[in-house]
Amino acid sequence: MSASSPSRLAAFLLPALTAVALILLWYAFKAVLQVPSFVLPAPHEIVAAAWEERTVLWSAALVTVRGALLGFTAAVTVGFLLAMALGFSPRIKTSFYPLILVLQMMPVTILAPIFVLWLGQGLPSIVAITFVIGFFPVVANTTMGFISVDRHLRELFVMCNATRAQEARYLRIPGAMPYFLTGMKIAGTLAPIGAIVGDFLAGSAQGGVGGIGYMTISYFSQLKTPALFATGLVACVMGFLFVGGVNWLHWRLLHSWHDSMVKKE
Amino acid sequence: MDRAMSEAPVVKVSGLRKRFGAGPLVLDGIDLEVARGEFVSFIGPSGCGKSTLLRLIAGLTPASEGSITVEGLAPEQARKRMFFVFQDANLMPWRRVAENVELPLLLRGDAPAPRRERVARMLEIVGLAGAEAKFPWQLSGGMKMRVSIARALSVAPEILLLDEPIGALDEMTRDRLNEDLLAIRSRDPFTGFFVTHAVAEAVFLSSRIVVLGANPGRVTAVIEVPFAYPRQPELRETPPFLRLLATTAQALRAVRVA
Ligand SMILES: Nc1ncnc2c1ncn2[C@@H]1O[C@H](COP(=O)(O)OP(=O)(O)O)[C@@H](O)[C@H]1O
Ligand SMILES: [Mg+2]
Repeated sequence: MSASSPSRLAAFLLPALTAVALILLWYAFKAVLQVPSFVLPAPHEIVAAAWEERTVLWSAALVTVRGALLGFTAAVTVGFLLAMALGFSPRIKTSFYPLILVLQMMPVTILAPIFVLWLGQGLPSIVAITFVIGFFPVVANTTMGFISVDRHLRELFVMCNATRAQEARYLRIPGAMPYFLTGMKIAGTLAPIGAIVGDFLAGSAQGGVGGIGYMTISYFSQLKTPALFATGLVACVMGFLFVGGVNWLHWRLLHSWHDSMVKKE
Repeated sequence: MDRAMSEAPVVKVSGLRKRFGAGPLVLDGIDLEVARGEFVSFIGPSGCGKSTLLRLIAGLTPASEGSITVEGLAPEQARKRMFFVFQDANLMPWRRVAENVELPLLLRGDAPAPRRERVARMLEIVGLAGAEAKFPWQLSGGMKMRVSIARALSVAPEILLLDEPIGALDEMTRDRLNEDLLAIRSRDPFTGFFVTHAVAEAVFLSSRIVVLGANPGRVTAVIEVPFAYPRQPELRETPPFLRLLATTAQALRAVRVA
């Protein structure tokens, strides 16, 4: 009790104090060097801009979250299914896996205009970009999970005369779960970033408002710097919620049995 | 026993040789006939091919030369009658105790109700009633092994193959488990194959001890264990038991020196 509570308090207090110190430093820097607000706004100006633009930012955030969720879901689903094909058939794996690794090297900045060319400005392209970013970590990790099945557990299934479908359902898929969830966690971290980048490159304000990436460009071109910074704030909050959600799912599915979650004394 | 002797052997191994790929000969010329109800222990230095021999009988790896029949069938065809207790329990970490025991029944297509009933009985037999909902990480090594044995017994196999099931446990847990194993066998009589490197365990459990030598693995001695089943724990302190212990230890030492 006496050993754990001060350290838990410190876990809240230390970052809060650091934040306060950095904000003070920010003000000091701005005052001493007389940096104008359109270059570096003060923290309170950012908060004020966020409040002023709240309706726009809220709709923009919703647009981006929608893109991120769709792209993430597609990445996780397609990634899992492809990993299953790769993990279950050595032939498919040898045929495709190297190509997947090579494709992974393709920068999004090159893929983005291609998607726009094919899918036009707007949500489909944004989803495609988010998908591409989240897809590879899911495939790579999950495939590894399907391949690294415990040899002795496989022999157990052989002794039980298990069919391939049974082996998949009761051994390989649950065994690959921790790997899949690791891939999903990475994809979850990348998805909001992917959606914002996608929106930045392929977004449009058709049908009302654009997403966060689109608003970034808009505020930038109007030199509304405090609002530009505010989009960053919104992006941080969004990313935090997204990662939190994925982490929660990870915990839900693994906490009862997996080594990484189990609390041993 | 008389009836068993007159019957065809349950497991018949003849002229068995085994090498992995182009590797060296692991087992060389193994001949063995085991009657129903026997309990045969394989004992020998590490790496002499004990596990391999067990895996061959289970049909988990093919013979290079010679033949193995189980109930007159090729091992792969006879799997429904056998089960394997693997080293280190080999439980599925994401399944609870009851779910681990249930697995073989589930895979062979038993209905849920008889499955549950059978699992409950098995856990009771191995002394784990009440631990149904625990995960493997919450169990001690001895408890894990009991789950593994309950899982193997759930399908009521005629032949049970045990690969150093209690190798890593402390002596008290081992003795208890061995006694329980014999108790279980007096209720559900299976033909047993048991790999161990502990002489006392082999003598206490077996009706026959097969001593294997290494490089390549060959049968160097066969020791009949005359004590009748059921055996009591006190058997371990009797002079005939201790004499047989000495004989077996000598046979094992002869292999190690050679
Ligand atoms: N799957 C395998 N592939 C290649 N070599 C193996 C394999 N399994 C066992 N061996 C080799 O066969 C020999 C006997 O192994 P094993 O049967 O495990 O011995 P024991 O159980 O008596 O310690 C060892 O030299 C081991 O390296
Ligand atoms: Mg072994």
